[in-house]
Amino acid sequence: MNTDKILIAYDGSDNAQRSVAYVAAMVGHDGTRQVDVAAIERPADRDLFADDAAWKAECQRRNAAMRDALDQARAMLVAAGIPDDKVGTRFVESCRSPLREATECSIGTSIALEVLRLAEEGGYGTVVVGRRGVSKQEEFLFGSVSTKIIHAAKGLAVWVVA
Amino acid sequence: MAPSARELLTRLAPDFPARHVGELYDDTTEFMRIGYGDVMVLGERHFLVLRDEAERRFGMEDPKYWVKRCRCLETGGRNIVKLVFHENFPMTIGSMVVTCTRSPRKETRILDLVRGDPRFMQGETIYDAADNPVRILDLVAGKRLDEKIEALEMPHRDYFHDLFPTVLERFIEACQAIKWLHDRNEKHGDVRRDHLYVLHDSGQYCWIDFDYTFDFQESPFGLDLFGLGNIIQFLVGMGQHTTQSISPALRAQITSDDCSIMFPNRIVNLQKLFPYIPLEMTNVLRRFSLAAEVYYDTAGELIDDLCRARQALGRNGI
Repeated sequence: MNTDKILIAYDGSDNAQRSVAYVAAMVGHDGTRQVDVAAIERPADRDLFADDAAWKAECQRRNAAMRDALDQARAMLVAAGIPDDKVGTRFVESCRSPLREATECSIGTSIALEVLRLAEEGGYGTVVVGRRGVSKQEEFLFGSVSTKIIHAAKGLAVWVVA
Repeated sequence: MAPSARELLTRLAPDFPARHVGELYDDTTEFMRIGYGDVMVLGERHFLVLRDEAERRFGMEDPKYWVKRCRCLETGGRNIVKLVFHENFPMTIGSMVVTCTRSPRKETRILDLVRGDPRFMQGETIYDAADNPVRILDLVAGKRLDEKIEALEMPHRDYFHDLFPTVLERFIEACQAIKWLHDRNEKHGDVRRDHLYVLHDSGQYCWIDFDYTFDFQESPFGLDLFGLGNIIQFLVGMGQHTTQSISPALRAQITSDDCSIMFPNRIVNLQKLFPYIPLEMTNVLRRFSLAAEVYYDTAGELIDDLCRARQALGRNGI
């Protein structure tokens, strides 16, 4: 297990920002560790919109917000003392996105499994995820990224910041 | 004002009462104006409107003004014609509220996907003069499954031993149909027991109404799975059982863990009411209870467990 590489699963939410703050506090002045912040694109469901123009506009808005949030997360980690060249960001576009340009994409059925795929492919030893603290009913119906990561993770450490 | 349908009806439907002859519509946007005696022009065909469809639930009738029961003047066949109605609405599930969206283009896409598959209602989409995707649906030649179950007049034990194995077999096929959709990244969107029909000719189950969608990112098929869970509870129980509907003696044995995770008065651990229900089936039902710690993530997992329950029924000589 590579303890020198940390992957933060990030969606721009308050919980995700807390997980960035936690990692910053944990490894801020230790210049040996690589910390990457990854966001998986969640395009709006096309069927929710009356036409493609409205759908595309919403996808663009979400993407721009997510890229800004990634930049902020990166800035927070650097400000905490992690060397600039040891902090990376990753934005994985969705295969269903109308804006997609990248060749690699997320099929969009599970954010959690996408994060774990990135962790495995990148050789990360630690995945960090924020947790909202949802009710049983919400988890039953909507699912939970953090719960699924905990259940499906193998061969790495999972830090859950609640 | 739309032109009269008189000439057309005189020629193609001479039996239609002249006093009810309405107007011709090639643009269906204003669907509230279209009613009995009007004719919708869709592509090369003409559809005489007979009435608005209505949904009957909980003893109430809820008119659906955008869904018309029609007669095709060219073929003489009956069709259900669904006009475009964009709406978002809150769906209450237990204590939670989920935003649902009605999506004509989702239903159009699924109708194309399931063409020729008897596990799903059949139909096609024709675009009207205003480019509205109007869905022309074939009438499903069958009866609602829940109505058939509710009409049974027999003790639960007899039902469970004699009829349920076949019901379960068919329901597993219906779940496989939903899995088939999920495998293609589509969701049914409105899996309810009154959306599952039993076909008169084959006895096969057939899903209807795919125009709802919802935005659950981490569990995109969660609502479909929840719907399948509700249906299997109903089928195993030969109806729905609540804490209010059972005797005080039985009620004393029921805890909150025996009830639905979403509806605290709905009993899902039906083995407490019907002890001959095998453990394998109880295990499926418990996955939808408040006691559950792990939930079904995919239709395939539910199908696997239902198949185990089916085998258990066989082992018990049912």
